[in-house]
Amino acid sequence: MSLKSERRGIHVDQSELLCKKGCGYYGNPAWQGFCSKCWREEYHKARQKQIQDDWELAERLQREEEEAYASSQSTQGAQSLTFSKFEEKKTNEKTRKVTTVKKFFSASSRTGAKKAAQERNLKQGQLGRERNADNILRDLKEIFTPSWELASPTEGNTAQLGELSACSTEIHEAKAPSPSINRQVSIETDRASKEFIEFLKTCHKSGQDIYKQCKIFLEAMHHKRELNIEEQSEYAQDFYQNVAEKLQTRSKVSPEKVEKAMDQIEKYIMTRLYKYVFCPETTDDEKKDLVVQKRIRALHWVTPQMLCVPVNEEIPEVSDMVVKAITDIIEMDSKRVPRDKLACITQCSKHIFNAIKITKNEPASADDFLPTLIYIVLKGNPPRLQSNIQYITRFCNPSRLMTGEDGYYFTNLCCAVAFIEKLDAQSLNLSQEDFDRYMSGQTSPKKQESENWSSDVCLGVKQMYKNLDLLSQLNERQERIVSEAKKLERDLIDWTDGITKEVQDIVEKYPLEIKPKNQPLAAIDSENVENDKLPPPLQPQVYAG
Amino acid sequence: MSGQRVDAKVVMLGKEYVGKTSLVERYVHNRFLVGPYQNTIGAAFVAKVMSVGGRTVTLGIWDTAGSERYEAMSRIYYRGARAAIVCYDLTDSSSFERAKFWVTELQNFEENCRIYLCGTKSDLLEEDRKKRGIDFHDVQDYADEIKAELFETSSKTGQSVDQLFQKVAEDYVQLMAFQVMTEDEGVDLSQKHSTYFYSCCHH
Repeated sequence: MSLKSERRGIHVDQSELLCKKGCGYYGNPAWQGFCSKCWREEYHKARQKQIQDDWELAERLQREEEEAYASSQSTQGAQSLTFSKFEEKKTNEKTRKVTTVKKFFSASSRTGAKKAAQERNLKQGQLGRERNADNILRDLKEIFTPSWELASPTEGNTAQLGELSACSTEIHEAKAPSPSINRQVSIETDRASKEFIEFLKTCHKSGQDIYKQCKIFLEAMHHKRELNIEEQSEYAQDFYQNVAEKLQTRSKVSPEKVEKAMDQIEKYIMTRLYKYVFCPETTDDEKKDLVVQKRIRALHWVTPQMLCVPVNEEIPEVSDMVVKAITDIIEMDSKRVPRDKLACITQCSKHIFNAIKITKNEPASADDFLPTLIYIVLKGNPPRLQSNIQYITRFCNPSRLMTGEDGYYFTNLCCAVAFIEKLDAQSLNLSQEDFDRYMSGQTSPKKQESENWSSDVCLGVKQMYKNLDLLSQLNERQERIVSEAKKLERDLIDWTDGITKEVQDIVEKYPLEIKPKNQPLAAIDSENVENDKLPPPLQPQVYAG
Repeated sequence: MSGQRVDAKVVMLGKEYVGKTSLVERYVHNRFLVGPYQNTIGAAFVAKVMSVGGRTVTLGIWDTAGSERYEAMSRIYYRGARAAIVCYDLTDSSSFERAKFWVTELQNFEENCRIYLCGTKSDLLEEDRKKRGIDFHDVQDYADEIKAELFETSSKTGQSVDQLFQKVAEDYVQLMAFQVMTEDEGVDLSQKHSTYFYSCCHH
């Protein structure tokens, strides 16, 4: 039996998949067409340089921080830099008033943003701080606050565990109500920081170290914002690996604890980075999202039967599970931490398993699970699907993604999306004609199967569709009647016309001539006119015989 | 949420209905087709803790959809797998042809993945020798050629099932021990580097 002819589904030319460097391995668009090895080699040099730069930058920042700290120790130094976005806005509003007053005092010719920042500083320092410290602080603030919402850069050099708790109370204060759009985000960020710090306190000595590393990482990431997202991802992955290794080898933490700590670290840093690395403008993630979304919409007609989904939605429990699964997969978009997103996928998968188990009365295998997941994705059309997948791939702690249960479900989701993207008539066991007709929206398989509506459709809707069906039938019949009536009318007119014409023809052909009444009689009478020309009548003769 | 640590990824490959899921079920829950199924909701992913020479190893066993319509996606599944159990039905020669296809794929794209050939449903052969769809020696030769271990299992009787997974775990542990020895240098380098980097910023 030939394998080739048997294979169906999606086929991509092998050469399109291979690494650009020609090493024979598969490439990946996420690595610009290289395979993982070549990609690493290719970017190793660039990264080395980047690391060097970061190191220098970090050192410089450290120096500046120390200076700033020294010069502002007399005032309330540690507090001043706790800026989250909304707070900044709030102060902006306030300083606008101050600005007008201030104009009387200073002849500053600086432009808007700088002025605002400076004035903010002045206000923070209650207008009494030394100019030097102000300038340094302003610079620092311009580096940190507008983008990274760092907890508090100045306390970096004195980061004792005691400071950590001070930091957490600051964060608490920062939650003060403010009429800003960013409030929700900030609160979430603050909560994450608070939890993180609480967690670090339980780690004793290594907690302080972790905190420092995270902060350095976040600062470095900030300076990488203009870079390719893949490099940022690479950097984050390296960070995860380094921290985990360090914890395990240097601090001798048990693997379970490392896992826990890594989860917390991921949560802390990704809550902060989310805004900048989720669906970044430098990538075409958004475009891909729209493509997938459109694709799923166009496939609205796909039925569970076509996908061989082993789920019977007429059972109320099952349809309940299906709804829950759809809710979970949609909810994924609202989470910020990759691990939380994964948790949504896992939760969704568990509901799918339950649905299959109830239907089939045995645990689901992969042969049952994947089609059902595809069906759920088609039904739910989760928002920003590609962006979410990319984000998880790039920034999730890889140890979790590659092997564990979450990784399994995530892989299945990737498969489902790949399947949907490349789905064709064959993969649904349809003829090309049917597939094209369904895709163009000319007909819908549901119309033909309106009797077996899935059970999640409520009675009213079912009735409505039935009525719609009836109406369309009525409409059809009415149209037929109207057209028949018109035809009849036309026929009648034609018939009248035809008869008239026929009559006329006949009349023309046989014109009516009325002859004088007596003439024929006279003619009959005159028949003997020429009697005289006839020979004389025979006379009887007697012969002597 | 499920956060069980998993050391190695083991992926099950094989044509539809060769019994991949049954094999996993048999191994993990020691049962075949009949219940009680209450404990598990799905057999698609299983994390199994095993002990090898005093060490514990957790295998994450990934079931895959065998249907040909998902064939194009199979590479997503075995990416990063440490071991692949390629199943074929002993009574169905076409399933062995498909197994060969997967072996080739694995050799080409996942060179770090060890391959285990697994003929399933051996209990059917015990009932009737003639049912064997493919010669044992042919398979053995093929297995030698691709440097794969060969097992003939029955999920019904449990024949060779435990041995198969035990072997997978043992090989993994051995490989890890070997890698730790050879990779020490690389790990050290990166560590020195990061130490340098981080310590500079604290003083």
